[in-house]
Amino acid sequence: MYKKRSTLEKTILIILSLLAIAFFLIPIYWLLTTSLKFGRDSFAIPPTWLFFDATLKNFTEVLTQSKTFMYIKNSIIITAGTTFLSLILGVPAGYAIARSKFRFVKNSAYFFLLLLMLPPVAMLIPFYLIMRDLSLIGTYMSLILLNTVFDSAFVVWMMRSYFADVPQEMEEAALVDGASHFSAFLKVALPLSVPGIIASALYTIIYSWNDFLFALMLTSPTTKTIPLGILASFSSVEISWGKMAVMSIFAIIPAVIISLFLNRYFVQGLTAGATKG
Amino acid sequence: MIQTFTQTIIKKFKADPFFWLLFPLLLYIVVIAIYPLFFSFRISLFDYRLTDPNQTQTFVGLENYIRAFKDPTVLISLKNTLIYVAGTVTVELLFGLGLALLFSPETKLAQFVRSFLLIPMALPPLVVGLIWKSLYNADFGVIPYYLKQLGLDVGRGPLGELSTAMPAVMLIDIWQWTPLLMVIFLAGLKSLPEEPYEAAYVDGSSRWQSFIYLTLPLMKPTFLIAFLLRTVQSFKVFDTIYATTAGGPGQVTTVLNYHIYTVGLTFFDMGYAAALANILLVMVTVLSIVYILVMTRRQL
Repeated sequence: MYKKRSTLEKTILIILSLLAIAFFLIPIYWLLTTSLKFGRDSFAIPPTWLFFDATLKNFTEVLTQSKTFMYIKNSIIITAGTTFLSLILGVPAGYAIARSKFRFVKNSAYFFLLLLMLPPVAMLIPFYLIMRDLSLIGTYMSLILLNTVFDSAFVVWMMRSYFADVPQEMEEAALVDGASHFSAFLKVALPLSVPGIIASALYTIIYSWNDFLFALMLTSPTTKTIPLGILASFSSVEISWGKMAVMSIFAIIPAVIISLFLNRYFVQGLTAGATKG
Repeated sequence: MIQTFTQTIIKKFKADPFFWLLFPLLLYIVVIAIYPLFFSFRISLFDYRLTDPNQTQTFVGLENYIRAFKDPTVLISLKNTLIYVAGTVTVELLFGLGLALLFSPETKLAQFVRSFLLIPMALPPLVVGLIWKSLYNADFGVIPYYLKQLGLDVGRGPLGELSTAMPAVMLIDIWQWTPLLMVIFLAGLKSLPEEPYEAAYVDGSSRWQSFIYLTLPLMKPTFLIAFLLRTVQSFKVFDTIYATTAGGPGQVTTVLNYHIYTVGLTFFDMGYAAALANILLVMVTVLSIVYILVMTRRQL
């Protein structure tokens, strides 16, 4: 409705957009190309952006190490366990908070939000000591239990606002027909909230897959996850940026898939998590 | 106290059919999160070093807290944390608003670009730290190379110099989290009412005037929420510092989180680490409560 932008204004906007895109995408591009470069090229001065000898050497080296699959397996087990536990505990709780008429239940939402914001290191120190006393350090369970504290709190917060938007009439009709509150939740509300559950699941997947601090303290050599595997490619005799880049690519796969192909759910989660009271 | 608590729980069970669905998670959190926090308070009153072969725990009262106030590294790391949080959050808010305005049109192209800009914030912070560490590397890093081309002296690289290490680490945070603010601001922009804009247009206001006198004031609540959210999150920084500078050079990038980690989980001075962690906990909790109050007030 405003008068058309002048050519100068348009040019400035285009340049700004391109600068922004370059700033945010060049580091990722750099990671991808490093994984395809020979060692000498990743140190080349001046840097080679486009024309370098591409090689799959780094990939074959990393994929022939049995440890690589151990890291990936561990990450998958811990992520799956955390996601499952967080949803099982968090989705019903979010429903209860959205539907209950009692202050104690409703306001517990803010308790979970507070929990979500706790500094992880403050939780890790006592948790580490307790796990140590119980000889559980190095088990998948220790990591799943701690990750679930933060992830389930997020699921509650997210699902509460999702269920609040789901109309209650059908559940009420089911209750009139003699269904229990539990079966109204399971058979009526749950199928209607699948998109919210997907968004919650994507979050717990991202959080637990990306976790580094907890894994650093709570894993043993056989339960190390991918981020620790990446660091391991440094501690050997030589620092191999190529191998590090390949391991990093495994670490960023969920992030890339979710951002590019499932971004509808991802954005929904971001805004619900941040702004809905 | 426990008895009255149990009675309350039983009463809730009888009165509220939905309480059943909340209870399992509540129980989980009490056992897995609240109990450790009490445990942490107890430990903080003891001198407890895991490096001690006898594992003795000596009661020292508030000694660990008093020590925290005398520890020069605590003061330095607190100062560093405040610089880090203030710097990153300010820049991210401004850039985030800029990005949101730049990519707000609902065109296929803008949507396409936006989905790519989501990637940084979904990446593992450790990987982000390592990518930037290689970009910053003094010998073969891309950034020092171009800085040298511009005739600047890079010394031991951006992460190695006392004067540039903190801004260099902050830039990583800005890279990763500005897109989150873009998303929040986009949602805010979308929910703005149309009428004031139409009225302003009829009255002959320019695009710039509408932005200054309508968009900015109307976006104030979103701004506040975004500011508080990022402040709380920014306090948590650990992975990128671990990957890039390990708190150095000297102590210029030692944030509170990192200091606690070093005391507790590399020196294993558990009593003192727990005391530091509890101080951080109180600070972040106060901030979080402010955030929650602001957010709920906005809904009413």
